[in-house]
Amino acid sequence: MKNISKIIFLENFFKLILKIATLIIIVIFLLMFYSLFERSMPSLMENGFYILFGSSWDPNIKLFGGAPAILGTIISSAIAIAFAFPISLSIAIFYTEYCPLRVRPIISEIMNLLAAIPSVIYGIWGLWTISPIIKLNFQEPIIASIGFIPLFSGPAYGLSIFLASLILTIMITPIIASISMDIFLKTPILLKEAMFALGATKWEVLRHVVIPFARRGILAATILGLGRALGETMAVTMVIGNSYIWPFQSISLFSPATTITSKIASEFPESVIDLMHNSSLMSLALILLLFSISISFITKFIEKGVKYR
Amino acid sequence: MYKLRVNGLSAWFQNKQVLFDIHLEFPEKKVIAIIGPSGCGKTTFLRCLNRMHELTPGARVEGKVILDGKDIYSEMDAMEVRRKIGMVFQKPNPFPHMSIYDNVVAGLKLMGIRDRKILDGIVERKLKEVGLWDEVCNDLKRSGAQLSGGQQQRLCIARALATEPEVLLMDEPTSSLDPASSARVEALIRVLKNNTTIVIVTHNIQQAARISDFTAFIYNGKLIEYGETKEIFESPKDPLTEKYITGRFG
Ligand SMILES: Nc1ncnc2c1ncn2[C@@H]1O[C@H](COP(=O)(O)OP(=O)(O)OP(=O)(O)O)[C@@H](O)[C@H]1O
Ligand SMILES: [Mg+2]
Repeated sequence: MKNISKIIFLENFFKLILKIATLIIIVIFLLMFYSLFERSMPSLMENGFYILFGSSWDPNIKLFGGAPAILGTIISSAIAIAFAFPISLSIAIFYTEYCPLRVRPIISEIMNLLAAIPSVIYGIWGLWTISPIIKLNFQEPIIASIGFIPLFSGPAYGLSIFLASLILTIMITPIIASISMDIFLKTPILLKEAMFALGATKWEVLRHVVIPFARRGILAATILGLGRALGETMAVTMVIGNSYIWPFQSISLFSPATTITSKIASEFPESVIDLMHNSSLMSLALILLLFSISISFITKFIEKGVKYR
Repeated sequence: MYKLRVNGLSAWFQNKQVLFDIHLEFPEKKVIAIIGPSGCGKTTFLRCLNRMHELTPGARVEGKVILDGKDIYSEMDAMEVRRKIGMVFQKPNPFPHMSIYDNVVAGLKLMGIRDRKILDGIVERKLKEVGLWDEVCNDLKRSGAQLSGGQQQRLCIARALATEPEVLLMDEPTSSLDPASSARVEALIRVLKNNTTIVIVTHNIQQAARISDFTAFIYNGKLIEYGETKEIFESPKDPLTEKYITGRFG
């Protein structure tokens, strides 16, 4: 009797701890949101929608348009996802369906390793190594051949929104790939065999069993990757060139640009003496936070719909 | 006329041999029961007959399995083999992400048959064959996983039958079913025999005696005895067989 009441006590105790922990997380989130909102207020009141849609940013003449940074964030993340998604799925498919068992640990170790590299290392590598290579072997030839298309026009700076997207791709691919690998491995073997027994090829088993089963997980992995890309600061700041000319003065993907995170990172120190400047940066941060929140809501929404189709 | 001839079949998991040089042949349109104690290699044997064994990483097969004069290992590709030799698994495994309808037509779609009218006809016919039609005809759109265990197994049989395989392999198809459902499956096997060769693994000696024409007794990966069911049950030649069918081990 004594034992059972002890167990019940412990269980209730742990439940309580879990509840408190959840509550603390919610409170921290709300506090964060509130303080960001509060600090953004001066700029939002003063600049209104200009912070969203304005294209110029000059603290000296109190011009705080966030559009280039906001678009930089959206576009660099979108390109990164567009590259990383098919690459990650291919890696995961190769890993689970085609690669010899002995090679598997090597691939998963590489993925874990890549995912664990600090972003400043990616930044340095992108800045010193990849940037000149890309400039010489990719940007310049492309500009020379199809440079008349505004999206690919010159000059080739090396540091550019394109390079930032590329580095982001390399950073988020291991995340999406390693989660997808785990999910693919969890496909019930009985169902794969059921499909094989009907005469399906490997590819058909993938299409009709493995992918439908993994859909929710892949979506979650992609969202995680997207979140990482949206919020990535260090590496992006180092390789994007931090220029406000994109996309309004030059729409070229090879032109330097900026993102919300690199804008904040590079201007925050100087902004502390200027309330409006600082508050405008906070508004950008608030917009970024709203992005992340809406993405997780959209995910919830899609997930409900996708539940086994 | 032999439908399937097994010639010197051996099978391995990694380095562990689990089947040893098995020879036997299955006459066309008969029911052949495979019996033997747990772990003796019945499932492995069955999976060697439609090249499912090789899907297990590290698994290996030697010997020949000849379907209508063609060796399924050297003269046919695995996809073709599996279309001609259907399989029902021990545990019901309908596709949970597909409707009942889509479960039945899954194999047909793989063959490229998309004509709605043809599919509709086959779904109705096959579900009637397995005695599931009356129970599900009003909600064919429901997920296959929402059925009871017995219904799921009958759905899986319908799925395997939809492509009209020439040989049907069944791995303890009734072991997870209640007596009523088992009886229905047994009745179905008797009907199917009219145009299909059926190889059924069973733990249930009485079931083997009831439904099969031939019985193979496997012990420790070796074929101990094979012959007409009546003879095996009435006058087994090997003392091991006798011991097994009289229930004195396994
Ligand atoms: N995936 C596997 N890897 C390694 N060994 C296996 C594997 N599957 C089965 N075996 C071994 O192969 C032998 C034969 O197994 P099998 O499943 O064919 O037996 P069975 O006669 O079907 O048994 P049961 O009646 O219990 O289903 C057993 O010794 C088993 O341990
Ligand atoms: Mg078995």
